[in-house]
Amino acid sequence: MYAKKEKLIYVIDDDPVMRMSCKQILVKEGFRIETFEDGLKGLKRIQEEKPELIIVDLKMPKLGGMEVIATVNEMDPNIVIVVITGYATIDTAVDSMKAGAYDFLPKPFTSEELRLIVNRGLERRHLIEESNRLRQEKEKMQRQFITFVSHQLQSPLVVVQQFLEVLNHLGDSPKKQELQQEWIERSIIKVKELIDLIRDWLQLSKIESGVLVDKIKAIDPFPIITDIVQTYNEQAKQNNITLTVESPESVSTVKGDEEALNVLFSNLIVNAIKYNKPNGKVTISIEEDSNHVYISVSDTGIGIPEEKLETIFEEFRRIKSESTKNITGTGLGLPICKKIIAELGGKIEVQSKLNEGSTFRISLLKYEE
Amino acid sequence: MANEKILIIDDDEDYLASIRTLLESHNYVVSEAASGKEGLKKIREEKPDLIVLDIMMETVDEGYSLNQIVKFQKQYEEYKDIPILMVSSIQEDPFTRFSHASGQVEMIIPDQYMTKPVDIPKFLELIKKLLKK
Repeated sequence: MYAKKEKLIYVIDDDPVMRMSCKQILVKEGFRIETFEDGLKGLKRIQEEKPELIIVDLKMPKLGGMEVIATVNEMDPNIVIVVITGYATIDTAVDSMKAGAYDFLPKPFTSEELRLIVNRGLERRHLIEESNRLRQEKEKMQRQFITFVSHQLQSPLVVVQQFLEVLNHLGDSPKKQELQQEWIERSIIKVKELIDLIRDWLQLSKIESGVLVDKIKAIDPFPIITDIVQTYNEQAKQNNITLTVESPESVSTVKGDEEALNVLFSNLIVNAIKYNKPNGKVTISIEEDSNHVYISVSDTGIGIPEEKLETIFEEFRRIKSESTKNITGTGLGLPICKKIIAELGGKIEVQSKLNEGSTFRISLLKYEE
Repeated sequence: MANEKILIIDDDEDYLASIRTLLESHNYVVSEAASGKEGLKKIREEKPDLIVLDIMMETVDEGYSLNQIVKFQKQYEEYKDIPILMVSSIQEDPFTRFSHASGQVEMIIPDQYMTKPVDIPKFLELIKKLLKK
């Protein structure tokens, strides 16, 4: 609800009884009311101070209601115009609405009818203002997002170029000999970061265009998972991390796409390895009920702070902390997972405890013939 | 004359390394900070002769905030004349970016701005010029 207090309403009517009664009814409602005996006076006052709403009689000497409507609408289309008329025919109503009025009230009307129409008009104005505000906010966020993405895409290249230019600038100095090997290695890492980022960005836009839906077929998730585990086992072993798959003897097929499920499971399993602790465990368990197959990826890693659980599925919301500063990532892995899951009609949930570990649980729909 | 002190504030340690090497090869004394907060601390501790400042660090406008604090906040009064050279890979420089805004724009406008990666001869020249003032 909007706040009624202090809302300014003008009543323009040549009939003093009408002005008085409108004022009495609406003042009781908590509005600020000013009344005018003709259109010219009303318009003059609107130029000084804009009301939220005007009530205007259609038939007046001097400037008629229809002209008032057109002028006010031109001055500020956000001012709500309610027309009162003694000769309410469909035609006059339609004409006034065409000119920009919000609604009309045929005479005689009850106080309840007036209250209703005024409140409805103000409510609508409030909604319009609110939606404009939200739209502007969204546009601002989009602009910031574009700035941010272009920054992310440029940063690695900027560093590589600066390395090369500084090396070039150093000429044949011993400093150059000393630095070049290290800077080549750093540049390789930067370029890899950029390639990863572009790959993930393309992945994300591919899912966004909705191509996945047409590719959905029956997929057995088990071999995809065991393949991924095999691929990343080596990487896990380097940190003494054990990967285990717990699965029933047979797993039902799910609605999916092989490539998409591969990306989905890989992202979660790689995260579970990356954000684990040395000697940690990653457990992938598969369960099912009558309609779903559930796949959980649990780790014994650093965990996610509770206040960040809401945002980790949004783009570029990697958690920056002492424990994550040496872990690389694009900030797009979980957003990709979320998009894939949404396209497949499934769900993803996360539970986490700081310093103890996280569990990401996916539910996928069973494939039915 | 003692060598001039330059503080670089940038959250990319590789970028820091490249600029540090460049400036050291021209005999400047360089210190670094990886965030706006650390930067402010170093400004107070070391009172550098010039600051090379990145814009987008932990937040998108961290550099602007630091600029505003150093140039306009009372407790930084004695540092307000340290020239600030802002560098960023954001293509739009702050003068264009804020040309339509009104009010407190001057609060965040640095002394100079350059796009990353910096053009080395121009960068060195600009630093020389800013230090002379």
